[in-house]
Amino acid sequence: MDIIYLIFLIFLAGAIISWLAGKVNHVLQDILFLASVIVPSVLFYMNVSVGQEVHFQAAGIDLSWGITAFGWIFSLIVLGLGSLAAIYSVGFMKGKERRGYFYFNYVLSIMAMLGILFSRDLVSFFIFWEIMTWSSYLMVIYNGQHTQSIGIKYFIFSAIGAYAMLTAIVVAHSVTGNFMIADLITAYPVLSFNLQLLIPILLLVGFGVKAALMPLHVWAPGAYSNSPMAYTSVFSGALSKMGVYGLTIVMLSMISHLPEGFWFREVLAWMGAITAAVGTLWAIKQDDAKKLLAYSSVAQLGYIVTGIAVGTELSILAGLFLAVMHAIFKSTLFMAVGAIERQTGTTNFTEVTGLIRKMPWTFLASLMSIIALAGIPPLGGFVGKWMLYESLITSDHFIMIVMVFFSSTAAFLYCYKFLFGFFLGQEEREWAHVKEAPAIMVVPMVILAGLSFVLGTFPGILLKPIDAGMQALGFASTYQHLWDTSIILNGWGNQVVLQPILYAILGIFVIFVVFLTLKGYKNTRYVTTKDISSSGEVPKEHENLTFSVNFFQPFMRAVEPAMRRQIDRYYNGFANGLEALFDFTRKIYTGNGQTYAIYVILFLIIMLLIKNNIFG
Amino acid sequence: MDSIWYKILGAVVSFIVAFIVGMTYMGLSRKITARVQNRKGPPFYQNFIDAMKLYSKSTAIHHGVMQHFGPAFIMVSSVMTLMIVPVLNDGRWFPNLNFQGDLIFLLYIMVFGPLGMALGAGQTGNPNSAIGVTRGLSQMVGFEIPWVMALVALMVQFRTTSIVDLMDVQAQSGTWLMFTSPFAFIAAILAMLGMFRYSPFDIVGAPTELASGPMSENGGKYLFTMMSSGSVFAFAKLTLYVDLFMGGADNLIVLVLKTFAIYLIPMLYGVVSPRYRTEQAIRYFWGWPTFFGLMAILYAVFF
Repeated sequence: MDIIYLIFLIFLAGAIISWLAGKVNHVLQDILFLASVIVPSVLFYMNVSVGQEVHFQAAGIDLSWGITAFGWIFSLIVLGLGSLAAIYSVGFMKGKERRGYFYFNYVLSIMAMLGILFSRDLVSFFIFWEIMTWSSYLMVIYNGQHTQSIGIKYFIFSAIGAYAMLTAIVVAHSVTGNFMIADLITAYPVLSFNLQLLIPILLLVGFGVKAALMPLHVWAPGAYSNSPMAYTSVFSGALSKMGVYGLTIVMLSMISHLPEGFWFREVLAWMGAITAAVGTLWAIKQDDAKKLLAYSSVAQLGYIVTGIAVGTELSILAGLFLAVMHAIFKSTLFMAVGAIERQTGTTNFTEVTGLIRKMPWTFLASLMSIIALAGIPPLGGFVGKWMLYESLITSDHFIMIVMVFFSSTAAFLYCYKFLFGFFLGQEEREWAHVKEAPAIMVVPMVILAGLSFVLGTFPGILLKPIDAGMQALGFASTYQHLWDTSIILNGWGNQVVLQPILYAILGIFVIFVVFLTLKGYKNTRYVTTKDISSSGEVPKEHENLTFSVNFFQPFMRAVEPAMRRQIDRYYNGFANGLEALFDFTRKIYTGNGQTYAIYVILFLIIMLLIKNNIFG
Repeated sequence: MDSIWYKILGAVVSFIVAFIVGMTYMGLSRKITARVQNRKGPPFYQNFIDAMKLYSKSTAIHHGVMQHFGPAFIMVSSVMTLMIVPVLNDGRWFPNLNFQGDLIFLLYIMVFGPLGMALGAGQTGNPNSAIGVTRGLSQMVGFEIPWVMALVALMVQFRTTSIVDLMDVQAQSGTWLMFTSPFAFIAAILAMLGMFRYSPFDIVGAPTELASGPMSENGGKYLFTMMSSGSVFAFAKLTLYVDLFMGGADNLIVLVLKTFAIYLIPMLYGVVSPRYRTEQAIRYFWGWPTFFGLMAILYAVFF
């Protein structure tokens, strides 16, 4: 049996067994769950090489599975992040209800995502896509709350995406006669113009929903914040990247053949930039960490889409690098929120403050991820942001770069809100009992945070597989032309050399820390956050000095006009309109037998009249 | 010449120069402000005295690790900015890291410090500090837009993102960029008003309102480090403006004259201005400065 089948079999069997094992023993269940995620991942990296394929038939349709160099980049996200988040999940789910349900859907999601990367034909692609959607939907309604408002919304948008994709697949089949993705791509340039436009647009709707691209994003904030945090780290980190995966393939292998492709790309890039800006503004407004990170995910995916849509070598490199970086830092942040939720029971900034001394490791991981998110050197986010800006400048997108820069600067606001809201500020007695999360949750976070540190100085580690993947999609190698192990360049030959910068930053930091510590820290004593000068008086213990409500009020006042319109309202208006329509039909279908009898008689009369040519 | 010691020497010498010049400017600004307000004012070297006093004071309390590291974070940002910005033309000064980073890198390393300091200020638990930080970050979103527009205009016009290249352009053509791209210069200068945080944009420290904002709860060495970082940062930023728009400088005296001329703009504007509210400040930057930034980009693209 081919190893590829074995991988999927282990996933599938592992999902079911780790569900059932909960009835026997919880520790056994945890171990089986970890094994069913980690064993296939190890098998994948040990035994599956790029280009290896298996073919088989099901229901008379030729199916084919195999990984491409491009899919391999995303396998890093799916399996690497999936394994780390699985370890975290064990700690997160400890003592919670319905663990079997969680583990089952978790493993299925990972399997489905890997399946999407493996699919070389549209049928298995669609099936895996649907498994992914279903398992994530079940996770969204895991806690049984808001199933109406959030669950249904996610479901409707996923359905819209799925139908669009299904239509595209059927159209593609009618053109090529089979379901192979490669055949569709080879046939694409000679299609009629209408089909050339129809197929990518339908596919992009499908992928755009998962990538939470405006205006298809409205499901994301609710769905991300309603699922258990251990899953949201995968949901936002990996699952949304499947949309990016599909989007990149469509953009590069289809749209680039269109003579009008330029406008297509421009529109998509602008959608990405607007997504980034508006998502950021909404993230600043949130008081709940889950919602904040969810909107921030929407915004970050906007950058990624912009990078991919612009379509130069550097911008795609930037988009894919940011995709992996986003998976790393955003999943860490969601994990941190999960840890805080588990230890304190709330994720609201207005409720919990001053955790830095209680949860130092969570703070460290969050701090690193936030710095990466904000794109500040020397962490990994900077490399992606830098490449994105340079690609926008060198490809003459001057207004777009200002837009992207605006959202990127405004992102500092919610970054600070996240760190300040949870970890800094007044320490309150209410949270004095809080302890650091268990090691099994902290270790994956710290590993991921360390990863974003390493990639910030040696982005070549990641850019190498990305470059290989781009070559598989028909680009020339960009090695030493746009990047080296720790150098990044733009098309004009300007560069940032990351290694000396890292050493300089570390050197300066250490010198001044030593300077401050010598004759400083040792001789000083720690005082509580109540021991401060407030108008020259020491505040009393009972005085409330916490500042967390309306945190960015002045800023929100300044951007208020931009936030008055909300696409969600239009959707809701549309839904209400439909409901009114349905209400109207209910007036016809009264449920009363006599009314129906009158309808029948009226119908017969009209028929008779028509038959007798009464109307002429 | 390429040894590690030479590089460290370069960093130290640059730092000392920046420290002295920056401190003197701040002292002069106090003097000038006083004269405008018809006071006698402290001597121009008053800031050195203050710094020495702060340095020699011992600190009794701290609020935790982040507060302790905060000044170091802001120092990283200031010194890195100084390392990236070329001090004199034609490599007449230590090269430092001039060739290792470009303008986009500079934009990002410049915000490293405020964010690090914001974390330090946050841990003290003083609500005034946190309010100051939120104001500062909001204002930053304001002035970064025209500032980035000005830089994008320059980068587009000369198809480079390197500061050294932009200086070479001016050396070759013999014209300062403030004349070749006037709109970019106007936008950058208006953005600078916010960057230097003099009135009417002194909403972060906001004397008599926020009790010096993020700086409160810091004394002794902490305040000394912050103060020196401020002067180094001021010097680095002024040098950047001179490099970008006024053709750089051939020697230190010219540099000091040019930077002081630039420095007078936000200072004198501040002396006669009352303070804005935060949202007014943000909207100010998104008004005329952004318009000039837009003009600068259009000018760069079409001319």
